Amino acid sequence: MEEIVNVEAVSRRFPLDNSPAHHPAHRFVSALTHANLRVTAGEFLAIAGPSGSGKTTLLNLIGCIDQPTTGRILVDGVDTSQLKPAGMSKLRRERIGFVFQTFNLIPVFTAAENVEYPLLIQGVSSGERRERVAQALESVGLSSRANQRPDLLSGGERQRVAVARAIVHRPALVLADEPTANLDTHNATQLIDLMHGLNRSLGLTFIFSTHDARLLEHTERIIRLTDGEVVSDTASEGGSRG
Amino acid sequence: MAKFLLLAFRNIFRNRRRTLMTLFMVGGGVAGLLLAGGYFAFMTHGLREDTINSGLGHMQIFTADHFNRDENRVLDTGIDNWRQVAASVKTGSHVRGIAPRIDFYGMVSNGTKAAGFMGSAVDPEAEKSLGFITHIESGRNLDPKPSGEVEALIGNGLAKSMNVGIGDGLTVLAMTSDGALNGVDVQIVGIINSGAAERDARYLRITLPAAQRLLQSDRVTNLVVGLDSTDNTDRAYAEMMPHLNGLSQRLELKKWIDLATYYKQVNSMFNGIFLFMGIIVFFMVLMSSVNTLLMSMFERTREIGTMLAMGTPRAWIVALFMVEATLLGVMGAVLGLAAGNLLGALLNSSGLHMPPPPGYSVPMPFRVRYVPLEMVGSSLLVIVSLALASILPAVRASRLRIAEALAHV
Repeated sequence: MEEIVNVEAVSRRFPLDNSPAHHPAHRFVSALTHANLRVTAGEFLAIAGPSGSGKTTLLNLIGCIDQPTTGRILVDGVDTSQLKPAGMSKLRRERIGFVFQTFNLIPVFTAAENVEYPLLIQGVSSGERRERVAQALESVGLSSRANQRPDLLSGGERQRVAVARAIVHRPALVLADEPTANLDTHNATQLIDLMHGLNRSLGLTFIFSTHDARLLEHTERIIRLTDGEVVSDTASEGGSRG
Repeated sequence: MAKFLLLAFRNIFRNRRRTLMTLFMVGGGVAGLLLAGGYFAFMTHGLREDTINSGLGHMQIFTADHFNRDENRVLDTGIDNWRQVAASVKTGSHVRGIAPRIDFYGMVSNGTKAAGFMGSAVDPEAEKSLGFITHIESGRNLDPKPSGEVEALIGNGLAKSMNVGIGDGLTVLAMTSDGALNGVDVQIVGIINSGAAERDARYLRITLPAAQRLLQSDRVTNLVVGLDSTDNTDRAYAEMMPHLNGLSQRLELKKWIDLATYYKQVNSMFNGIFLFMGIIVFFMVLMSSVNTLLMSMFERTREIGTMLAMGTPRAWIVALFMVEATLLGVMGAVLGLAAGNLLGALLNSSGLHMPPPPGYSVPMPFRVRYVPLEMVGSSLLVIVSLALASILPAVRASRLRIAEALAHV
């Protein structure tokens, strides 16, 4: 299978303030330590772990919105450590879709306009944009809500719009940071089913962070992080979790 | 591009109260500039036409030596064959008429007291045909063909200082071309109040033939040219210049603007005040808008982070903020233009008067002129000011660290 993500010995340290109270050795906090991970196309993968374990940091690094302190990450065959900011931006624009915990829709745009946005910044023609937006909204079951602004949508609907926005430009990879954290059980289950369905029907690769047991139940592969270290990977343990 | 503009437009109305405050401030600046500029334009336009119609005319013809003249013998450098010159230039397409003049200096005496005067000898009919206004306070204008004594008009200040009135006599003394002192008795038929107190304190006017007899010369010091419109001055000047070449005397043609010293001073003073007001409005809009736009940027930190995460080029973020600010400027300018013009119309119909300006004794009506150039200039000023104000927030927004922006609460 084609390799979509390759995380090689990646560490991420964040600087603390330069107060003399801190010993030079303690002026950094380590969010991720020597992480290794390979993801192949079409996987539905969860990064699990308690708060502060480094889930979001790992997703940010894979999503090229942060850079590792050491190690390197390849996304869709591209070594991201070699990219300049504009190249990173282009890679995100064309190859990655994002779903955020708090939906992060543009409030002044309608659902359809929000879904259209990734195509807009890619310079896709208006006719094609219209067609692909309609398809994406249909795939998340929100065609009838296309012209509603986010403030008139429920939490579940907003997150489904966010999913449609993440897949509309046909990315190689969809990254979702705690996508069900702000949803009730009903909407969370619907979203999980939706993402799983898109993974199967379109062959989209999903990597998401979560500590939601409902989501983990539907996940073939789970990476567990504790204190910034990968402590288990169900793939290397010889199959899916039971 | 249309969607991008739509996003910018909708962003403006996210915080309606703040947008409204900004629009009021920007619109207020534009309206203030329009009203001040419109009033200044009314004043300078009025002063211009008043200056021209009070006898300066649109152009004047002098001999080249006139500007080096001896003030005691003004006709030594006067125009010789002025009738021929007048007939020649009168054929110009925009020329309404020509009025010959003698500007001269001398003394007036009432037998017990003498004072210096600044005299003007005119052809009353020519002056009248050009529409020149004589601000007669009391009495009447000069009779073109008086049957009896030489008639004179004098400024109210001179009349007061000489303690004379209508019907009184004065002796006018001036130096002839030969250098001899000559005198003529005149009868005061009218008192002039031009509004310029300094001028009225020394002013005397008699008819051209009387002055020529007094100065013992057939010459005139200058020919005043009246045109159909002040706007045609440059065209008429270009047309007239060839007529003045090749004559026995070297003549010079001066436009009204070259002779209206007071007008130029007032105009440059108003321009200076307007420029100063423009600078104040520019910085007022700039400083307050930077603050407003920075607040807007901080409120949208997570959204900007999301846009950047999705791969929006940083230049787009800069452009988005600048377009938003520019649109705000355009709307503020439109509001200001509407308010300024409406207020201007209300003021124009109110009949308000301002106190007389320095050197004048009559109140000035308060009117606002509509000057398209000022409307465009004031609008551009606030639009540019807002666009500049957006640079700092725009650059800050574009440089946000995505991970931190996404975590922003």
